[in-house]
Amino acid sequence: MKQTAPVISRGRSQGAGLDLALPYLLLAPSVLITFIVLVYPLWDGLKASTKFYRYGKPLREVGLDNYLRLWSDSQFLNSLLVTVSFVGLAVAIETLLGLALALFCQREFRGIRLLRTVLIVPMVITPVVVAIVFRLIYASDAGMLTTLSELAGGGPAQILGHPTRAFIGLVVLDVWEWTPLMFLILLAGLQSLPSEPFEAARVDGAGPWRIFRDHTLPMLGPVLAIAIVLRTIDAFGTFDQVFVLTRGGPGEATRLLSVFGYDTAFKFQQTGYAAALFVTMGLMILALALAAVRLLRREDVA
Amino acid sequence: MIVRILKGLVAALILLVVFLPIYWMAAASLKSNKEITQDATLYPHEPSFDNYLHLLSDRQFDAYLLNSLVVTAASVVLALSLGSLAAYAIARFRLRFRLERIVGLSLLTLRIVPAVVILIPVYLLMLELKLLDTWLGLIITYTALNLTFCVWMMESFFREIPVDLEEAAMVDGDSRLAAFRRITLPLAAPGLVATAIFAIIVTFNEFMFALVLTATPRAMTMPRGTATLIGRIDTDWASMAAAGVMGALPIVIFALLVQRHLVRGLTLGALK
Amino acid sequence: MNDRLLNRRLSRRTVLQGGASLAASAAVLSGLGKPASAQTGGKVIIGAFVDGGLAPFKNSIIPLAKSEGNFDVEFLEDEYGVTLEKWFADAQSGAGQYDIYLLDDPWVPQFGAADVLEDLGAGGIAGGDSDWIASMIDMGYWPPREGPRVKGFEGAEPKLIAVPFVGDLQTLTYRNDVHTNGAPKTWDELIEKGKEGVAAGKIKYPIVFRGVAGNPIVTSWYPVFLSFGGQFFDDKWNVTFNSDAGKAAADFFVGPMKQSAPEGVVEFDSDQEGAAILGGDAGAIIQYSGNALKADDPAQTKVAGKLDFGVVPKKEKAIAQMGIFIASVPKSAPNKSNAIAFLNWYTSPATQAKLAEAGSIPVKRSGFGVEKPGNRLIPVALQQLDAGCLPRPRTPDWAKVEELLGIELNKALQAGSGGGAALDAAAQQVTDYLKQAGYYQ
Repeated sequence: MKQTAPVISRGRSQGAGLDLALPYLLLAPSVLITFIVLVYPLWDGLKASTKFYRYGKPLREVGLDNYLRLWSDSQFLNSLLVTVSFVGLAVAIETLLGLALALFCQREFRGIRLLRTVLIVPMVITPVVVAIVFRLIYASDAGMLTTLSELAGGGPAQILGHPTRAFIGLVVLDVWEWTPLMFLILLAGLQSLPSEPFEAARVDGAGPWRIFRDHTLPMLGPVLAIAIVLRTIDAFGTFDQVFVLTRGGPGEATRLLSVFGYDTAFKFQQTGYAAALFVTMGLMILALALAAVRLLRREDVA
Repeated sequence: MIVRILKGLVAALILLVVFLPIYWMAAASLKSNKEITQDATLYPHEPSFDNYLHLLSDRQFDAYLLNSLVVTAASVVLALSLGSLAAYAIARFRLRFRLERIVGLSLLTLRIVPAVVILIPVYLLMLELKLLDTWLGLIITYTALNLTFCVWMMESFFREIPVDLEEAAMVDGDSRLAAFRRITLPLAAPGLVATAIFAIIVTFNEFMFALVLTATPRAMTMPRGTATLIGRIDTDWASMAAAGVMGALPIVIFALLVQRHLVRGLTLGALK
Repeated sequence: MNDRLLNRRLSRRTVLQGGASLAASAAVLSGLGKPASAQTGGKVIIGAFVDGGLAPFKNSIIPLAKSEGNFDVEFLEDEYGVTLEKWFADAQSGAGQYDIYLLDDPWVPQFGAADVLEDLGAGGIAGGDSDWIASMIDMGYWPPREGPRVKGFEGAEPKLIAVPFVGDLQTLTYRNDVHTNGAPKTWDELIEKGKEGVAAGKIKYPIVFRGVAGNPIVTSWYPVFLSFGGQFFDDKWNVTFNSDAGKAAADFFVGPMKQSAPEGVVEFDSDQEGAAILGGDAGAIIQYSGNALKADDPAQTKVAGKLDFGVVPKKEKAIAQMGIFIASVPKSAPNKSNAIAFLNWYTSPATQAKLAEAGSIPVKRSGFGVEKPGNRLIPVALQQLDAGCLPRPRTPDWAKVEELLGIELNKALQAGSGGGAALDAAAQQVTDYLKQAGYYQ
């Protein structure tokens, strides 16, 4: 009656009891820790999101009030807009650049190993430090852009004080940091493709664009899709870099959802409202991921 | 021929784009504040390590580094060992109610949702447990965050190892666990290494939870400590640059040492 | 195959053992890190955010505390942007990592309302001492002794939960070669004389200020608003900043004042504002003391010797914004009695005099009377304090209000008009926010 692994025969009867309990024992510690640190807080957060907090303490139950209030809060909507624009723009550029680079490096050439080594660096540098790197570039009084501009006779570079330019600056930072990831994944994908279809196409006289459109792209499809989905999900959670680069400013120009939530919880002490914000955010991303998975499934079958 | 020149140019451009910003920060870290803000030089005219010394002796960066090393090592070891066990269970066993599938799927879901969503609840939890600003609080948090990802990766590695090998060992008299230790683990070693590398990098670089869960040099990690210098008014650029270099150096060196496994792990993760 | 793998073998047992012992040692060591609960004769842990205004305290007073009072001061600094959350978390959780927080005064309402601070009056600090600068010591009481009180605290007895630590306020920094008769008395004079200075080629702009949305623009607008007679809230927390006086102040700010300032002022923060005056482009700016003192350092400014300090210009009155460092002791402080003793010593007239000599603005009137103040801003600060100096409204929600107001003001500043409309829009948002926060029930 018990359903232990039917495939593997049990060893000698010695330790049979242990064998029965084994899978549960193996799972237990992980499940316990995950439950305590991830699941319980998640549940706690859900409960907190239905309360109204004042000065750090919950005062009363307000049901779904916090959630409803979000959608008429212009600051939340602005955050949503900023986040979606940021993610969309950054991931698009990273994908295109990564793909272009991968296509370019497809055939092994001298120095590709060096290139791969070099490209690891932006990805592994602590995101906080990446933000410092770019602050040192953008700063209007001490930054690299200002120095170069002044040497060329111009004035200081005004980036972080200007809403649009600060936003672009943030996108540039993300592109610098994460294009290598897309490049590496897509390169591996390209290199894992079978070569016969390409040989055949070339023999048929197809030009590079044709080959790309009819063969490369479709075959690369799944890898491309996964890379985009993973990167998009991560990009939604961007926090460190924004916090250090602009803290959400100037004004609200770079206030991503994560920073807005942080401010709402810790600066303005609206713990319940912030919890509702994060739950909403989590649900949106989950929906996005599920939709993407469904799309991929369908592609696969086709 | 032209293509070769073009490839060379592109490669050079990539090198420039990657290294110029980093060079700028490194150069700034060797300058004085006056030189940075007023003289606007392209390279340090009188390079000195004063900024670094200042950070280590006056700004507790030695403490931050220690905290980071301890917390990262402990949580990665814990997550990897516990996670491998759990991954093995999911990969090999079929439990009542398909429990292992449920666990596996939930862990995957938790992996997808950005950690920021549980930032406040975890803070409240640690507040209640009186684990704010302690190593233990951070270790527990990071272990949990790493577990989802470790289980996910190790599961696929374990699935690739044929069951027959374990079966053969068990027929020979080994218990399941012994077979796991003698046969499966060594075969899964590359997976363990790749997962470990990832976990180390991600954990060392973690900032958000460190921001909220630590407060003093007793527990503040390197990234968190680096942030003490970001300043809005009257920024100490020189120290900030030095802090950036110090914050990045350990992980960059580590990553370069293990880059082969890193790249393999990254791409395998996506290709699966 | 096995050779290579053997070298890499991660035996489960060793891994688990290693992990367990690491975790255990981490637990033990983290316990070791906790501060000792026994008083070790004079240890005081002070939390502060990085600010130039504390340099004299750090450099001159801390050593003095050791030699005079045998106080062992541990001074923990962090970046301004994270200290509020950090200290509030520490106080709420009772973690006991600090004995004293050097708060920014707008934070007092939040800490006060959460009831996490020690009653310093009961602890022996005389809040009624007339030597205190009145407007400063007022900020240490919660609920405030005067003015509107937030919901839930209407009937409570004001307790002294914080004491002023280092004074700071806005004053005018101006070019004495443009305003040759001393500081301009009115806003119109500031602009008029400024224009003459521009025509004479001495400066480029009569005034420079901060326009970035949020705290910077509201801080810049504050003295204008106050001098026009504006008031933020009435006794019941109804929004009144969009009164006629307020609107006039806003129109003046986004109109004539903007026209006398650089093009990009809407993006300026303290970096650019400071650079403008120190670089010689600005005829005047209004700033806190931190950057003001760079004016005398030839290494930091191109116009050393041409900069003087004065009271801010007036319309009806000349009122500046005040923002002080204010010290509080959490209920969970590990060395509580030391902390209170330290504060008593620190706020004594003798020590305040030494503070003034070291170059910080003191918090007791007698401190201003020293013969040799550490910098020439200190006498001017006293003038401004007597002329008029107001803190930000005493509510824990000021940060949100300031943000909402700042966004609207910034929009109007960008457009160069519509100050009144911006105030109305902000008033609506602030009212909505305060309503849902329970202010008007």
